[in-house]
Amino acid sequence: MKNSWILDKNHLSYWLRQLRKDRELIGPLRRYNHDIVFRTVEEIHEIALDCPASLPSPKEFLFPQYERMLRAGDLSSGRRVQDLRTERPRVIFGVRACDVSAVMLLDRFFLDNSKDPYYDSRRRNTLFVSVVCNNPDPTCFCAGLQTGPYLERGFDIQLTDLGDRYFVQADSREGIRTISATGFLFNRPKKSDYDDQYEVFLSAKAHFQKIISLDGPRQAILLGRVHDEFWQGVTDRCFECGGCVYECPLCTCFTVTDRSYEDGTERIRLWDTCLFKGFTRMAGGVLPNENRILRTKRWYYHKLIHYPDLLGSFGCVGCGRCTITCPGKIDMATIATKIKGLSLNGDLG
Amino acid sequence: MKAPRKKKSGGNIYLPFPGRVEKIFKKTGDVNLYRVQMTKPVSYSPGQFFMVSLWGVGEVPISIASLQERKDTIEFCIRKAGFVTGAIHSLKEGETLWLRGPYGNGFSTDSVLGRDVVVVAGGIGIVPLRPIIQWFIKKRTDVKSVTLLYGSRTPDDVVFTDEVEEWRKGGIKVVVTVDRGRSGWTGNVGLVTTLWHEARINYKESVAFICGPEIMIRAAMQDLFFFGMPDESIVTTLEAHMKCGIGKCGHCYASEKYVCTDGPVFTFKEIKEFALLEGYNT
Amino acid sequence: MTNSIHEIADARVLFVIGSNTMEQHPMIGMQMRDAVDRGVTLIVADPRRTQIADFAHIHLRHRSGTDVALLMSIMNVIINEGLVDVDFVRRRTENFDSFEEKLRRYPPQLVEEITGVKAGDIRRVARIYAMEKRSMIYYAMGITQHVTGVDNVRACANLVMLTGHIGLPMSGINPLRGQNNVQGACDMGALPNVYSGYQTVTNPRARRKFQRVWGKRLPQRAGLTVMDMMDRAYEGKLKAMYVMGENPLLSDPDLEHVKEAAGRLDFLVVQDIFQNETTAYADVVLPAAAFAEKDGTYTNTERRVQLIRKAVEPQGEARADWEIICDLSTRMGYEMSYRGTYEIMEEIALLTPSYGGTLHYRLEEGFGLQWPCTSREHPGTPYLHRRAFAKGLGTFITIEYLPPDEPPDEEYPFLLTTGRLYFLYHTGTMCRRTVVLNREEPECFVEINPEDAESLSIRNKSLVEISSRRGSVKVRTLITRRTPKGTIFIPFHFREVAVNLLTNPAVDPVAKIPEYKVCAVRIKPLTRQKTRKRKAPKVDLEDLRIT
Repeated sequence: MKNSWILDKNHLSYWLRQLRKDRELIGPLRRYNHDIVFRTVEEIHEIALDCPASLPSPKEFLFPQYERMLRAGDLSSGRRVQDLRTERPRVIFGVRACDVSAVMLLDRFFLDNSKDPYYDSRRRNTLFVSVVCNNPDPTCFCAGLQTGPYLERGFDIQLTDLGDRYFVQADSREGIRTISATGFLFNRPKKSDYDDQYEVFLSAKAHFQKIISLDGPRQAILLGRVHDEFWQGVTDRCFECGGCVYECPLCTCFTVTDRSYEDGTERIRLWDTCLFKGFTRMAGGVLPNENRILRTKRWYYHKLIHYPDLLGSFGCVGCGRCTITCPGKIDMATIATKIKGLSLNGDLG
Repeated sequence: MKAPRKKKSGGNIYLPFPGRVEKIFKKTGDVNLYRVQMTKPVSYSPGQFFMVSLWGVGEVPISIASLQERKDTIEFCIRKAGFVTGAIHSLKEGETLWLRGPYGNGFSTDSVLGRDVVVVAGGIGIVPLRPIIQWFIKKRTDVKSVTLLYGSRTPDDVVFTDEVEEWRKGGIKVVVTVDRGRSGWTGNVGLVTTLWHEARINYKESVAFICGPEIMIRAAMQDLFFFGMPDESIVTTLEAHMKCGIGKCGHCYASEKYVCTDGPVFTFKEIKEFALLEGYNT
Repeated sequence: MTNSIHEIADARVLFVIGSNTMEQHPMIGMQMRDAVDRGVTLIVADPRRTQIADFAHIHLRHRSGTDVALLMSIMNVIINEGLVDVDFVRRRTENFDSFEEKLRRYPPQLVEEITGVKAGDIRRVARIYAMEKRSMIYYAMGITQHVTGVDNVRACANLVMLTGHIGLPMSGINPLRGQNNVQGACDMGALPNVYSGYQTVTNPRARRKFQRVWGKRLPQRAGLTVMDMMDRAYEGKLKAMYVMGENPLLSDPDLEHVKEAAGRLDFLVVQDIFQNETTAYADVVLPAAAFAEKDGTYTNTERRVQLIRKAVEPQGEARADWEIICDLSTRMGYEMSYRGTYEIMEEIALLTPSYGGTLHYRLEEGFGLQWPCTSREHPGTPYLHRRAFAKGLGTFITIEYLPPDEPPDEEYPFLLTTGRLYFLYHTGTMCRRTVVLNREEPECFVEINPEDAESLSIRNKSLVEISSRRGSVKVRTLITRRTPKGTIFIPFHFREVAVNLLTNPAVDPVAKIPEYKVCAVRIKPLTRQKTRKRKAPKVDLEDLRIT
């Protein structure tokens, strides 16, 4: 297989230091009572690759929570509106297969039919170096969705941990170019390396206690077997906290607002969520989605039914962040399991 | 070894361009018509909309209210309904609006060639229909008959009272009605959906354009469908809360359709299939 | 709270009175919801049908202000049906006999007339609460913001002592504190009558201890409460005020009186993070740092002291509150300086027995410590009063039911109760500046029961004028069955509908807490209302009971 290499683990920090020369290095670090978050890496030895799911997802590097879009200074003097796009080159090291799958879908959402310029300029300058999950968390369910624990294609660079070395693959032009730039660190893989990598893939997949697939729930909904009583039960447990939306690597709703300062106005965009009733508020106080069940259903329908129709995949990559976050226990994994389990006993309701 | 810095590619869709407010016409108590001189030539068609903003206030979608005559002029008819529209209403002639667009799918004018047309407008819903009415007048010989049923709440709320005569002269049969009359009003009193007999057309081969309050759109669509009009020939334009206009922010989204990119013009067939109006929920 | 939050998971009965838990304490509310799913019995007592009442097994809708009668009646049933924990009463309490005398005056049938709750329901609740050992009581402002607020809490205390549901895990009397550090502020003696740890200023031993450590003579009498301060300012006897992180010009009752009082001060200093109604009256505004801009600790409702760390630098000239106070104090001649908040905690630990061991280094890992934590080795205390009460034996306090200060009458026939919403917090200094939160509730509204709306010919979302003896406001209606007939509800977050213009400044004689929950108002429709005959009844989905 071409575009595969072996990297001795002892050389990893050296390689990262080379990458850091012309890109900002961002990686998973343990902070705040042992949570894993993605931050700019100061000390390379602090990178924590052991626990899979970081909280929050690295979507904030492509689609930040608070993004300054435009700035209008004193326009009367003929000055133009400033475009505040950033294009700092970055490498995000240590993302997982689920997050990379999410980025592939986000690319299609933000860049097909009308390019979102802010996402575009960040995406073009970001390199993702992902790491295969040897020990998926109990909350992960990427295996059933084929978004993990490893990817066959579509990544920039993917590392598989083989114990004392990494099996390195590159599947994009930028990935290949990056490896060749430090080619002296990498060796050709031997046959045993391929076998070892395959072993790791198999054992990672075997870790999943249950395979949650979203096809079953989708079918159940399309066949009309999931009635409103079920969704009302889900709605009763929804806090309208927005945690699932802010954590989900595929939720992309935002709002745009103007902030005025002494020397000008900035137009910014902020993460938003369709779970709030004010999301669709129209002038005059019209609230089309006042009834909470409409909003709860929308979140699930969008991910299970509409996303596949519009973009070809489920709007869920099985990362399990909503499971960790939701205080009401109505996350995607739980609901998918409920729908599947109950639909075996006939109609739900 | 240096990672190439990818240059900014292409324009920024979110960057608005300025438009000077050339003239303001006061139409009713809370509705003004703004004739705007755009600083760059832009082509637009009936049914589309622009995202209009004022710095420090906000941005809202506003329907195009006129048929394009010149490359750089456009008319917007805006009702003072909220924070941003309120700020627009306090603009004076010569001041600037910021525009992005045009967005949306627009009315398909091919579908009306050689057919009867009935236009149903309720209240401020006449505004997005005005460009297509002007198109009908311009291309009068390309369509058969055009009837406009125009309803408002009271005589003072009729937005284009002054243009109705012009439209009649242009060959459009205009029937104006109000929900509540007052002394001196000699026109119709009653809901616009009671005036179907005025249209006198062959429903099976006609096309309808409807815009107004949601409850009126639903009633009108259902009536016309009942009369035998095929659901692809019943066309409406919907409004929604929008922040981007290009199908990214999610505010105007309802069951697979984005009002800003798949609409705002939809056929009754799409409305039913995708449950875009209340009453047709999934 | 006498107990801890996580005990909800193992309780058997939850009795929630005067708390809109799901909306105001959502994490605790959700634990209660989970518990109900697993079979725990939930009893809610609240005149309004709040979100938590939606999934309660029993919802007692008593009239606002009748909590004492309701609780006394519950205790009456417990005594009459022999459900008293006789052993506990004998070993750990006093004054039972005269208390029992009083209880005889509150049989369920009589109380049914006072409260509007059926006698049968009172009996049911009494039996359920008393018979199950792991029963917990939760309360909040719904019972404290009355002229009988202290008596309401005493009634709860009497109830737990009567049934022996105290001093054990999964029991107790658990107030749900609101602001994230109101417990901490009270613990530190930010009250006119106590030093830290509730050591009273009138106690000579406590006073001497503090005098020795602080090196200054201290006042021998308690100071003024907030309500007293406003009254004195109004009378011209109070000349200056220093307000920190509070917005009395929107949150105090009887706002016209408060505005006048603030105007009569010679000097007003306000320390806050943003401008608000109170800074508008200030002579000096001291910008303070917000929560993410300073170090320190918060103490939550279950007495848990937790460390907070600075995450961003303060903006502009803003400084942490403690830095401002130290600076001011030093300039006034009393040297106060600390190298960091950990040094302040050391001083607290020295002077406050219950905080004896909550030093910052112990709070770095894990989730903090629950006081009393008397020494550096003490692991913290999950529940209180295991062996004895703070003063030894618990006393049954004899209380009487007293009606609210200003009940509805002929002239002002409706009862106004105020409260909070989910998405907004208090006077909105922070949340009404946040795009998404403000968008959820941009406008104020008044909840009116459909029967009242019908009788006054008021339509939904129409403007009405609500007036009391003290002022009036104009607000839009929201017709819902959540609020009972004869009562209306207005949230107090909105400066454009400052509902405290209407509220009654009458206070509880002991705690001086104003009666925000009851005052008399009248309603006047403002727009021409046509009661149109509707074809099909509009179903308010909120009213459907979900099984």
